[in-house]
Parts: sequence; C-alpha cells; structure tokens
Amino acid sequence: MNSRIYLDYCATTPVHPRVRNAMLRALDEEFGNPSSMHWAGTASRGLIDQARMDIAHGLGCRASEILFTSGATEADNLALFGTLRRYTPDECHLITSAIEHHAILHAAQHLEEEGYAVTYLPVDQYGLVDPEDVRRAIRTETKLISIMYVNNEVGSVQPIGEIGRLAQGHGIRFHTDAVQAMSLFDVDVDKLNVDMLSLSGHKVYGPKGIGALYVRSGIELEPMILGGPQEHSRRAGTENVPGIVGLGAALHLVQEYRQEERARLSELRKNLIVGLQSIDPGIAVHGWEDAVAPHILSIRLTGMDAEMLQIRLNNEGVAVSIGSACNSKSIEPSHVLTAMRMPREQIESTLRISLGMPTTVDEINSLLDAMARALPRAVMQ
Amino acid sequence: MSKYKVCVVGGHCSNRVMIVAEQLTEFFERQGIDCQISTHLAASEYGFPPRSNLILQLLPAFTEAEAGCPVINIKPLIGDPMHPATIEKILKQVQADYIM
Repeated sequence: MNSRIYLDYCATTPVHPRVRNAMLRALDEEFGNPSSMHWAGTASRGLIDQARMDIAHGLGCRASEILFTSGATEADNLALFGTLRRYTPDECHLITSAIEHHAILHAAQHLEEEGYAVTYLPVDQYGLVDPEDVRRAIRTETKLISIMYVNNEVGSVQPIGEIGRLAQGHGIRFHTDAVQAMSLFDVDVDKLNVDMLSLSGHKVYGPKGIGALYVRSGIELEPMILGGPQEHSRRAGTENVPGIVGLGAALHLVQEYRQEERARLSELRKNLIVGLQSIDPGIAVHGWEDAVAPHILSIRLTGMDAEMLQIRLNNEGVAVSIGSACNSKSIEPSHVLTAMRMPREQIESTLRISLGMPTTVDEINSLLDAMARALPRAVMQ
Repeated sequence: MSKYKVCVVGGHCSNRVMIVAEQLTEFFERQGIDCQISTHLAASEYGFPPRSNLILQLLPAFTEAEAGCPVINIKPLIGDPMHPATIEKILKQVQADYIM
C-alpha cells in the first residue's frame, strides 16, 4: 500500500491535537462525577460549564440553551420526538426534506407510524429545498420544520435563514441539522432564525460519542432518556465530561480557522475539479456552485462503477466514499441522489470526495494520479 | 469429473454477494446443473479470485485474462434476480462449458 490519503472528512474527522490535549485533562485529572458536591465533582462541573459557554459563544446563544447528547443522531431524534410527542398525532404536522440524514428521516417515519403527519419536501437537481415549497406545505397544525443546513452527500447549502424566517412568521419551530456546516459556515442561531440546531463532535475534529442540541430558551421538549436531573432534566445520564470538553475545544478550533479554511478548501476543491476534468472531460459535478459547501465534492464519472473505483483507490491508499450503502438485505442507492431524480446507473457512478483541515495540495495531486490509474480499471461493463 | 466451479464476485457488500449467490444456486438447481458456487469480495480480497470455471461479477473487478476463465457481468441481477439477458448469457456459458 502507498502512503495513506484520507479524503472522507464528511464521514468523520481525526481528533485535533489541541482537542486531544483538552480532553486528556478531563480523562486524567478531573474524573469526578459532575453531579457530586465535593471538589472532584465541582472540578468536572467546571469543565462542562466552560465547554457549554464556549459552544454558546460560537452559536451566539446562552449557555443554558445548549443540551449535550451522545451525538447528532440523538440531538436530531430529540428535536423531532421531543417536539411532536408533546402533542397528540391528530394535532401535529412535521415538515422535513427528502434529503435529510437518516437520523431525521427514520425518526420522521417512526412518528408517521405513530400517526403524526409528515411532509417530505422534494429538492431540485442541485439538492436544494425551495422555500416556496416549505411555505406551501405549512398547515395550521404544523408544529415543526426540520431542514438540514449542509447536505452530507452532495454539499448543497440550504437557504436556512429564509426558511427560518418563514417558520418564525408562522409561529412554527424550526430545527436544523448543522453537522456538516459547523466547520465552515456561520452558525449564529439568531441570524439563521433557528429554534433548535444539532451538532456533532467527530465531524469537527472532536471525539465520537458527543453532540449537542441548541434549544431556544422557552422551548419545552419531551425527554427521551429518563433518570437523573442532568441537562435540566431534559437528558438524563452522567455527563460524558471528556467528550463535552472535546466538543467545546473542537468548536473553538473550527471557529478560529473558519474563514481561512473556507477560502483554502474552496481553492483546493476548484483545483480538484479542474484536475478531474483533465482526466475525464465528461465528469459531472453535483450541486450548484453558488450553494455548495467547499469541503464536499460529489462527482459522477462517465461510465464508471464507483464501487470498483473506490476499491481501486482504497488499494492505493486513498479513502473516498460512494453513493450507495449496504443494508441488511440489499444495496440501496443513496436517498439523496434519488431525491435529486438521478437514475440508479448515475448514482452507481457517483463518488464523494470530502476535504478537511489536514488536506494538502500534494494530497489532491496524489488523488488525481491515483484516479488516472484507477479509472480505466473501473469502467462499467 | 470435478464439479463445475462458479465464483460470484462483489465489492464491499457481503450481503449482496450472498443474496445473488443464493439466487443463482437455486436457479442452477432448477436447471439441473450441479455446480459449486463460491463468493469473493474484491474490497477485502484484492487480487485474483479463487480458481473457477466461471466468474460472475457484480462490478468490473477482473478481466478474463486475469481470471483465466470466462467472466460475465451480472450487475443487472441486483435489480432483477432473473434479468433475462444476463441469465441467458450465464446459461449459454455454462452449457458451453459444462453440459456439452
């Protein structure tokens, strides 16, 4: 195997040394239970309080509006279940989109099975939700709108501020899954007009197993995990102190580098597209350039079997991902690309390359070299 | 005469390869063709597939020159387990190699 090149930062990111160092303190020194009233507990509580304040600062909200969870999946689930289950199914309607993460879609489908009404908004060929569709879908019993900020498969950036204004105007709560937006986009909750926002540690150079849900002050949620009074009785269980510290440090880090990383990754992405075009002039880039995240590149290569290409690239040490996923019984084409009305054959030729803080020009060049070698051996038969 | 060996080749998903291999086993049984079906994942077993008389692949993993035996693309079987043109191609090859 050649040297390893990781270009799958949408799947997860490595823990940054600064984050790791912050976490080590919580692991090695401040081991107390944050609920304990003695010195050990107080020290741990202090670390949580500091992380909560750091995160709140980044989101432009109050510390008391941050609720720690085990990750973005739990945060997404809590936003949906916690909101809707305060009402009976017949008086409640949810609006979401067809390209949400499964943490939203499967929760919405579960709520539908419980009798709640759900509208799944379509997207256009760029993977974008039309705010006009949101407006049309609103009913008198609509209680929640949940639209993701940046799509994890194609990088489409949704008009969150506009949808938020629309929701606000109708007195409807608005939630966004901002997992893929946190590292490069403005996430000021007031500017975005969001009432709830999910985030994850491991997508921003923090640890796995930690996330958070911003919940605007005054919003009541039905808890999903019952037990102790942690997180103001909204999420029971002894806090994951090292994880919380890591999440705080990670968000602090990405905020610090947000502007320069956005410009740097945009440039790398542009060069990558040019390089790929020289290898395959027929390459199609998914998403609309004016509304696409700079760290995500979803491409369709002419007549390529993306799975074979991914395997051949992996064999050369290059990690990228494809548009299909295996479930227990079959291979399912990506629901995002399907919602973009892409035929199965095109989905099976789709590759996702995602860039991150450690990505260098040399790595992009190595990817292009590997791609030139692998492409002829991955042609669909 | 040793058993006719068929290898079903897939990429990452062992479920998908297994499902296709099971469907082909049943199909061969119905046709009265006695053969041994094995599976191979290109993602985890990169290199040459096990020695076979016929390779049925779900993705372009091997050429006939590499495999040293006929190679048939069976990707259409994912959407349609009895995809007529693909099944016909397999039958023709098996009949040519085995029955005749």
